[in-house]
Amino acid sequence: MRVLVVEDEAAIREVLKTDLSAAGYSVDLATDGEEGLYAAIEYPIDVAIIDLGLPKLSGFELIRRLRARGKTYGVLILTARDRWQDKVEGLSAGADDYVAKPFHFAEVQARLSALLRRTGGWASPKLACGPVELDTRTQEVSVSGAAVELTSFEYRILEHLMLRAGEVISKSDLTERLYEQDFDRDSNVVEVLIGRLRRKLDPQEHIKPIETLRGRGYRLSLPRRPA
Amino acid sequence: MMRGPPSVSRRLLIAVALPLLLFFVLTASAIDYVFREQSTAALRDRLEEQVVALITAVDLDFEGKLVVNLLDPESRLDVPGSGQYAALRDESGRLLWSSPSLAGTDLVLGSKLPVGGVDFHYQIARDGTTVAQLSRGLQWAYGSGLSKKLVFTAADSTAPQMRELLRFRQRMAGWFGALDLVLLATMAWMMRRALAPVRRLEQEIAALESGGASQLGQGYPRELAGVTTGLNALLESERNRIVRYRDTLGNLAHSLKTPLAVIRASLGSAETDARRSEAAIQLEIDRIAQIVEHQLKRAAAGGGATLGQAPVPVLALLSDLRAALMKVHAGKDLHVEIDAPPGLGFLGDSGDILELLGNVVDNACKWCRARVLVSARLDPDRALPRRLSIVVEDDGPGIPQELRARVIERGVRADEQVPGHGLGLAMVHETVGIYGGQFFIDASATLGGARLELRLPGR
Repeated sequence: MRVLVVEDEAAIREVLKTDLSAAGYSVDLATDGEEGLYAAIEYPIDVAIIDLGLPKLSGFELIRRLRARGKTYGVLILTARDRWQDKVEGLSAGADDYVAKPFHFAEVQARLSALLRRTGGWASPKLACGPVELDTRTQEVSVSGAAVELTSFEYRILEHLMLRAGEVISKSDLTERLYEQDFDRDSNVVEVLIGRLRRKLDPQEHIKPIETLRGRGYRLSLPRRPA
Repeated sequence: MMRGPPSVSRRLLIAVALPLLLFFVLTASAIDYVFREQSTAALRDRLEEQVVALITAVDLDFEGKLVVNLLDPESRLDVPGSGQYAALRDESGRLLWSSPSLAGTDLVLGSKLPVGGVDFHYQIARDGTTVAQLSRGLQWAYGSGLSKKLVFTAADSTAPQMRELLRFRQRMAGWFGALDLVLLATMAWMMRRALAPVRRLEQEIAALESGGASQLGQGYPRELAGVTTGLNALLESERNRIVRYRDTLGNLAHSLKTPLAVIRASLGSAETDARRSEAAIQLEIDRIAQIVEHQLKRAAAGGGATLGQAPVPVLALLSDLRAALMKVHAGKDLHVEIDAPPGLGFLGDSGDILELLGNVVDNACKWCRARVLVSARLDPDRALPRRLSIVVEDDGPGIPQELRARVIERGVRADEQVPGHGLGLAMVHETVGIYGGQFFIDASATLGGARLELRLPGR
């Protein structure tokens, strides 16, 4: 998952970057509103964390503009002054949730994954497609009730495919979500990871969870079901 | 000295004195005109009488020869320059007779006049006196079938009339002047009385500025009562704000001491387990953050000021809040109903009411199963600071009795409460108190969960 963090305070920006990376997100950073707007529009972002008090372009305005440009991914606002006036204004501008400073990272993470689920059309933190189940809180994966051990990269690819189950996701989309800005796009690391995922999830090749659409990308083709 | 705009009493005095002066001048001119008309009419009547007297005094013998026999031996017509004159001319304008009084004057009495004609005009003599003369043309029969056309003229000096006019004008000016002075004095006195409350206000504000008083007094007339009560409310809320800031600083400093002491102790202790002391420090940092947040909110609450603020529309605000909360609680199957008439307004700071409703409605959304009902009403029978009633109900588990009492209890500070319980209700209670309102926690009869009621100033 690719998350954009727009925050002018260096300390908070770095803490978020460290913690989010550790939690398996690829992180884009911006230090002011204008830089944030550029990243928000140009990069394939899945979710954004935006501070309200930003230099150059306020958080409210940044959210209004990225929404005006048709961006529909989840936006989490950070407010320094925990006042309802700011929250309501931010949410009206197009944000989806808020966290007040000072925050615990666990709270930010919980809200981010809730936003990701919501934009993917999932209601609960447990995603289930056919026999495959994935718990976004514990990052546990099981097939027909049997736990499956995945590496961090494998988990991130599966989570992304499951959140957008039924949609075709391009290879470049997946690589961009695995790594940050500078990345060698010609590498076949995604193909390798998909191959490993298929073997781990479906060693007998009965359920065929991940479809390859030649020249277009991948699709998780198992039907969604409530967990 | 700085020249500001003229004072209220000066404006009033000018506004009253100018029309009054104009009124007196117009009245005096009208009366003067009437008086002059009447005295002219009286003069003319007198001249008519003199013409008649002249006609009586004149006779023609059978040959048509003129005989003038002035009956009154003391007639002023015999005294030269007496001011009273008479003359007689024939139809061609030839002078037949003139009174001895005319001798030595340059006055020309009478002229050609047809039978039945009347002429009245003024003439100014060499010595400057004005003389009014009246002539009448008559046909005089003095024998059988014989007649003469004659013009009788009587004249009189207008000097006595002018003297009388002057005297009248002097008297009129005297009376009107005196009346004018009396009226202006009355007006000045009335203005002093009418403007006394304004002067009192001026003095009381001066006293406020110099620190001699803390409030404006009572008993102002209706027109000023709005201003004075508004000012008093503003003063009160400003004073409260200052007290609150001072309290906040005191509380902040005081309540930060304990967690700081714990942190210092944790750092300095010989605790071998680093994780345990880190956990202790983390806990204290959370507490510090909570304290700072609470005190900041407390200090930021606007509170009470009712001057210069438009009422905050409650329905629009609730709709915005609902839209925001639906997003925040998107993971929940939530129904928030709003029942408020349009046009309902809260009298106070929009940030405060949003903070109050945000806290209360967000709580309801958090704790409810699925339904939240927000209803707002205006009760004009209640005292002003509690007229607007906003009730928030939910179908959740409700708030336990002992916690209700703790929140409502005076002096319970939010930072002393169970942390993490998610109830910003002490804050709500405090802010409602700043507005002189009321806050009730109850059980909802309709939905079965909690029922919170805020009573606030509104219209």
